[in-house]
Amino acid sequence: MSVQLGKDPLNVVICGVGGQGNILASELLASALVEKGYYTTVGETYGASQRGGSVMSHVRISAQKQYSALIPRGEAHIIIGFEPIETLRVAREYASKITKVVFDPRPNYPLGVLIGEAVYPEIDAIAAELKYLCGSVQILEATRLAQEAGNAQAANILLMGALTAMPEIPLQAEDYVQVLNQRFKGEVYELNQTVFDLGFNSLAV
Amino acid sequence: MEWMVTANEPGKTYLMQGNEAIVRGALEAGIRFAAAYPGSPSSEIMTMLGHVADDMDIYAEWSTNENCAFQACMGASMGRVRSLCVVKQNGLLTLGDSLHTAGLSGCKGGVVLLVADDPNAHSSTNEFDSRHQARAAGIPMLEPATFQEAKDMMIYAFELSEQLQQVVMVRSVTRICHGRGNVTLGELPASPSQPLPIGEWDKLISINWFHDLQFTKLDQAQAAFEENPFNWYTGPEEPELLVVTSGTGWLYSVEAVDALKLGDRVGILKLGTTYPLPEKFVLRYLEKTSRVLVVEEVDPVLELNVANVIAHNPGLNVSLYGRYQKSALPQSFELNPDVVIAALASLMGIEYQAPQTGEVPADAVVNIPARDLTFCAGCPHRASFFLLKQTLRIHESNGVVMGDIGCYTMGGNRAGHFLLQSIACMGAGINMGEGLGHLSRFGFEQPVVALAGDSTFFHSCLPGLVNARYHDANMLFVILDNSATAMTGFQPHPGIPLNCMGKPANAISIEKVVEGIGCSVTVADPYEIEATTQLVYDLIKQPGLKVLILRQPCATLAVRTKGRRKVWVDPDLCRGDECGCGRFCSKTWGCPGNIWDYEIGKAKIDEVVCIGCGVCASLCPAGAIKVEGGQA
Amino acid sequence: MPGGMQLKTEVLATSACALCGACLDWCPYLKNMEDHLVLSFDCPVQEHGRCYSVCPRTFTDWQAVNEHFLAGIPYDADIGAFQTVYRVKGRQPLGEQQDGGTVSTLLQTALLEKMVDAMLVTGHEDGLTPLPFLMEDAGDIQKVAGSRFLASPGLRKIIEAREKGIEKLAVVGRPCQVQALRKMEYNKPPEVPALDVLSIGLFCMWSLAWSFKDYLARTYPGITFSRMAIPQHGVELISNEGTKQVSLEEIKEYIRPGCAYCLDMTAELADISVGAFEPAPGWNTVLVRSERGKDLLERARSRDLLQVEEYPPEELNRLRQASRNKKARGLSMIKQAADQQRFAPFIDMSQSPYQEIIAESSGKEGF
Repeated sequence: MSVQLGKDPLNVVICGVGGQGNILASELLASALVEKGYYTTVGETYGASQRGGSVMSHVRISAQKQYSALIPRGEAHIIIGFEPIETLRVAREYASKITKVVFDPRPNYPLGVLIGEAVYPEIDAIAAELKYLCGSVQILEATRLAQEAGNAQAANILLMGALTAMPEIPLQAEDYVQVLNQRFKGEVYELNQTVFDLGFNSLAV
Repeated sequence: MEWMVTANEPGKTYLMQGNEAIVRGALEAGIRFAAAYPGSPSSEIMTMLGHVADDMDIYAEWSTNENCAFQACMGASMGRVRSLCVVKQNGLLTLGDSLHTAGLSGCKGGVVLLVADDPNAHSSTNEFDSRHQARAAGIPMLEPATFQEAKDMMIYAFELSEQLQQVVMVRSVTRICHGRGNVTLGELPASPSQPLPIGEWDKLISINWFHDLQFTKLDQAQAAFEENPFNWYTGPEEPELLVVTSGTGWLYSVEAVDALKLGDRVGILKLGTTYPLPEKFVLRYLEKTSRVLVVEEVDPVLELNVANVIAHNPGLNVSLYGRYQKSALPQSFELNPDVVIAALASLMGIEYQAPQTGEVPADAVVNIPARDLTFCAGCPHRASFFLLKQTLRIHESNGVVMGDIGCYTMGGNRAGHFLLQSIACMGAGINMGEGLGHLSRFGFEQPVVALAGDSTFFHSCLPGLVNARYHDANMLFVILDNSATAMTGFQPHPGIPLNCMGKPANAISIEKVVEGIGCSVTVADPYEIEATTQLVYDLIKQPGLKVLILRQPCATLAVRTKGRRKVWVDPDLCRGDECGCGRFCSKTWGCPGNIWDYEIGKAKIDEVVCIGCGVCASLCPAGAIKVEGGQA
Repeated sequence: MPGGMQLKTEVLATSACALCGACLDWCPYLKNMEDHLVLSFDCPVQEHGRCYSVCPRTFTDWQAVNEHFLAGIPYDADIGAFQTVYRVKGRQPLGEQQDGGTVSTLLQTALLEKMVDAMLVTGHEDGLTPLPFLMEDAGDIQKVAGSRFLASPGLRKIIEAREKGIEKLAVVGRPCQVQALRKMEYNKPPEVPALDVLSIGLFCMWSLAWSFKDYLARTYPGITFSRMAIPQHGVELISNEGTKQVSLEEIKEYIRPGCAYCLDMTAELADISVGAFEPAPGWNTVLVRSERGKDLLERARSRDLLQVEEYPPEELNRLRQASRNKKARGLSMIKQAADQQRFAPFIDMSQSPYQEIIAESSGKEGF
């Protein structure tokens, strides 16, 4: 049976921009958790969002029962942000002092910014506001690290590695091997496993 | 995952998407036939059925539209085979007439209609409640509240359908379809349902004579629902307030009661069989309380059914609350735990403290830019909308453009330079264009343009084009052919030589169909902006009905097969903010691959996003954008 | 110098545009097809807009421009600065030439004498539809001989000339086009390479919108017209099935609205200006303005390509009066536009000769 969780339900939000592999990331995490015996619900917001819109997954983990697909306001324990302004957007709704945030500082410019109608905020300002809203904030250059490892597109897997290393998550790195194996083969599996491990080892504890 | 839905592991628990659970349920029910048209949030169901069709020896079809799909299922049903039809809310209305007549004729082999509603319209033009149709069409309806139920209800639905010889609707929503959760697998049948011979007197006739029979079937369903494993009550013997809920409302209600610690004061009556309402069952719990809150999505359907029960039982002393006239819950948009907590807290006179958010000083509040939807990098629609807008402006005649449904619907917003002036439903563009174009006989002089995608063309524009040709419409019909049903996830359609099950199919040539109807048709490449601008300009000068096919494959699909070409900006040539440019690529062309290098004040290509179509290079007034291997 | 949006609100959207084509030189926002010239998308450039700086319908101090290019040449208030006026005729017919064929001959001379590397001329597509050509071969002149009466934004070819590395270019243009060419030089930003233009200006009363072709197609279905001419009594359309007459009344509807604001009948800023010599068909009126213009005419004469005769004084007076009348009409229309707040005057109405003409005309219609 699954180990009791410190916080039950444990609420994790994974957010970013459509196309960054948000869905895959939450699916991997949740599958590993179900395999370990936890009730896990993932609520996804996508569809039209694929076309460069905001995307978020709510992952709700419990040793007791199945929870609904949406996290109540302010009750996210962990936010993993694939993109800075999306992280802040989500934090304003779902973060409070109980929240830990890890985000990738690489901007993905919305159309409004590209055409010059809006200004993309400074990363420092985003991080500062996140610090006001949340319990703790860490920056992790997942895209850069993944690019260096061979594929910028695998930043999502790297962030899942980082998330798994957090003490709240009742998973070990080994728990991911099976889920990765079930979904990827050959070179792609190797790269994803490498990138996952990189993420697992990259956060300050 | 395909291996999950076909796994021979009864009792094993996997994380499954709601749509996957529905597929697994249908397979466990032994379906043999499945037909659908793509529509969020249901599209993954048929995609998955197509992938496993060979392994499971079933037939899975992406039908040309929902009407074809549902009637095909009814046909298969005559052969005594279990058939599944999957649609989204709008698609349900497309098959409306079929559904109502099916309710009258009933079915032979079990037919389940899986309808996926989209509260909040995350991926739809509108949100509406399909559950009204169950009553209107006179068929029973089930609503899964969890991922497990999404699977289990499929099996029950088929059993019920065959027991009653009636179509059964299973109504799911986005948060179930696109959510994921624990699902414990059941057993797959040894073999799926087999077709049986049809006798001379074996018929499916829709005739009004059967109307009373239809009610008899509903009564039988109701009787079956009175004691049903999908309906249960949790809570005190005599609750101060009774929550009556179905679908996603259930888990929100449970969470709300927990959060407010009202477990000993508030009871929850969860219903999975919601039409016809098991009135005796519900009455037992209505009798024990004085206040009822109904929690459901989208409309107060269940609530009004409960109101009906209350009205017919004058001995009850119950106040009813819910979404009707916003008595406790909002009348529109989707529910979430916070909304239900607030409603419950208010009704129970409790003040609820959500976790405190941090204090942010006013000067530290960041202005977060909105994230408008736009076309993917390389999307041919970006090119089509750019050149159409440009041409209509050059022609200086205030051309009017009618839109339709697909990725290109986004052409109504900034991504398409706000080109579209009408957006309704599938097939609306050509019909609205036909109507408006006829006003030219009364002195209306503005050119009329109607758009449709390739999948939309087959789905609903064929009658529209026949109508336009027959009546000699005065308009330009532009078919945006990106060789995919892209918006819903790149499903094939009749123009693609591949079917749902990955097998070769008879692709139908759009231009031959158009010519067959008697129209003149031109095919052009939207990436060739200048040449196509000239072409469109010449076409709108001509009277009568003109058809133009703008053909270039969807970029997101193309990059999977063709890979990406490298594109970069030569900063020495780039004019940037100066006259003769003004950031033309990022501001006017607007591709997410065209970004700005704030450090050097010049345009830049985002390599992670760019797919290498090269259109921006052809537009750059300074020739500063370079493409690997030369131009497109 | 304002940018594209101002050009749109002041000129393109107000019907003041003369369709010279100069603004199409550099810009991805300005688009032209047939006789439409629009800003296809909003331009964000608010300063240093080249389009605005070259447009003949944005505010210009024409006196200063005249001083810059034609300094020292005796100034005539009616027909601009000029040295001499002649009656001229080409000695060798060059294709479907207009009147005396002087323009074609001058072009031929300029190329033969290597005064220029290439020429920008408006030829035609189908007899009436104008099409600008950039030509480097004297032999091609026959193809483009003859006048065009439908407006053509010919200066849009300037960018092509620059891209081809042409440094010295002869341009045959309407008065508005000559004005634009001078403004291109006068307002040239330092980073833009200079283009040495030898301008041959054409006399012009108005030019026609391309919808005139639709009128012809409706009125004379099935007939293809190869040429148009405007002798004194009206407009002639020549086809292989004979000549059709169109009265000036019928033509009025198709005159481009932008032409109504024009104050320049004789291309006052050109190096040399050429028009029809009214009293005798087959002859041209030539106004020699700059030293270059004089040089060009001389070379043509010394090659015996042109017959150059004295100009009858009474005809010069008639020419002056016609030009003055056009200025009066134009000023009246500009004033009307200002009164109706459609656009502000693009000339200083207090400058000479405008002030005098307005004073003269006050009390008359429009004033």
